[in-house]
Amino acid sequence: MIEIERLSKRYGDTVVVDEVSMVIEEGTVAVVVGTSGAGKSTLLRMINRLIEPSSGRVLIDGQDTMAIPEDELRHRIGYVIQGYGLFPHRTVADNIATVPRLLGWDRKRIAARVEELLDLYQLDPAEFAGKYPHELSGGQQQRVGVARALAARPALLLMDEPFGALDPVIRAKAQDDLLAIQRRLGTTIVLVTHDMEEAFHLGDRIAVMDQARLLQYASPAELLMRPAEEFVERLVGTAERPFRLLSLARVQDALEPGTAEGEALSASTNLREALSRLIWSGREVLPVADAGGTVIGRVSVDRILRFGRSSA
Amino acid sequence: MSRGSVLLRASALLLLVAFVTAPDLFAPVFEPLTVNGAPAIYNQGSLLTLTLAHLATVFGATLASTVVAVLLGIFVTRPMGMEFLPLSRSLVNIGQTFPPIAVLAIAVPLVGFGAKPTLIALFLYGLLPIFENTLTGLTQVSPLTLEAAKGMGMSPSRRLLEVELPLAMPIILAGIRLSVVINLGTATIGSTVAAKGLGEVIIAGLQSNNTAFILQGGAVVALLAILIHDLFMTAERTMARKLGGVAATS
Repeated sequence: MIEIERLSKRYGDTVVVDEVSMVIEEGTVAVVVGTSGAGKSTLLRMINRLIEPSSGRVLIDGQDTMAIPEDELRHRIGYVIQGYGLFPHRTVADNIATVPRLLGWDRKRIAARVEELLDLYQLDPAEFAGKYPHELSGGQQQRVGVARALAARPALLLMDEPFGALDPVIRAKAQDDLLAIQRRLGTTIVLVTHDMEEAFHLGDRIAVMDQARLLQYASPAELLMRPAEEFVERLVGTAERPFRLLSLARVQDALEPGTAEGEALSASTNLREALSRLIWSGREVLPVADAGGTVIGRVSVDRILRFGRSSA
Repeated sequence: MSRGSVLLRASALLLLVAFVTAPDLFAPVFEPLTVNGAPAIYNQGSLLTLTLAHLATVFGATLASTVVAVLLGIFVTRPMGMEFLPLSRSLVNIGQTFPPIAVLAIAVPLVGFGAKPTLIALFLYGLLPIFENTLTGLTQVSPLTLEAAKGMGMSPSRRLLEVELPLAMPIILAGIRLSVVINLGTATIGSTVAAKGLGEVIIAGLQSNNTAFILQGGAVVALLAILIHDLFMTAERTMARKLGGVAATS
């Protein structure tokens, strides 16, 4: 659990982060959104003390980060930045091995861990371990960047615009991969982005920042239903609101008994996607199948629309 | 590297080795340049010994320049040394502006004749390219890479040794190459103050009006310069290629 208590950063008279307090539960994803210059990166970088706070404190599992030596603290916190900052003179395997080497793991353990991570990220060790970063595509670099951050099994992962340099198609895939791995490893993630779509897709809770202040820190649904300030409302997009709500719910939440004609939807598809499929196929109802492919019910346009009007 | 260029380099090296070990074989080539039956091949000492002494002087001086310039370059790019940057820049620049011959003139009364004044002159002359390239090399390291290194908990000394210096190496090497090549030529003037080196051959030729001697001394220095330049370029290119085409600048 990460507790941020009245954390501030001032440069002279300029306040960059103004008394921000928030709690990030173990194993959840907190997304910090806001316009550029809102102070989100500064907030993130104060967690691993790349920037020293002017006041306030950060507790990781109850321990004040100021009580831990800087480098030791950073060994325990994964850090991914936009552009990844891979070491151009080191191979993929050596890049991933960075923190384990700093921690003095023995060679065998490092080699095994590197292989495990490459497998996890669907990068064939035989092909990729010996490659240099400039020989990788953007998507592969991103995966190596995240693998490197996770190498020493940190309980906390900080990500600053980690998908910013990817094209939209690869970005969606990278986001899904991150979520899958997060669920699997139970890593706590604090992610900074200016992309609302990304925030709603990834965040268990979303923190909205503007002009150094934390305006609201709430679940995506709450942010849509009860925006605390006008700025939050504008940021979440009034016109987009029903669609965002739909994208937060899954088909299984709107499941009706019975069956229907047409290609089955997966129960884990979100309602926004389901609606889009319904519109495109020109049908009022579509069957729903579980992960195994067995039809377990159906979903209708009416039911989905009702979801978008009320709440999740 | 193509076969042709390898062949060219190999034959240049072969020619150099053959000439300094058995110069008499080349007597017929230099014969036409002599007058009044003067010797066609330098005969006041072994060319091989002179070549080795020349190389020793140049490498000794460049090694010293490298150590000082790189350390200085590292120091002024650290937070604590930042304020010394302008000062060290002007100091190093003075070293380059002072003509080596003037340094010799000043150094001889202080340290006497021989190799020492030459070493001092070459050392000062070689500082600038290495220092400037060290600065360029260290400051062009991507801030992203450094941020990542810091964020992963690398200590400042580890960042320097494992990230900054390796990434700056091709550019630092280019600076050393420049110094070595300049000094190979400049070292010949050391012979005016009795330093052993290929300058002796050239000066002997000038004194006795023997074009063959002058040409021999010049040719050996030139071949050395070309081969060493080439060796450095190959090393720089290999490193730069590994770094993903960060072009080595001269």
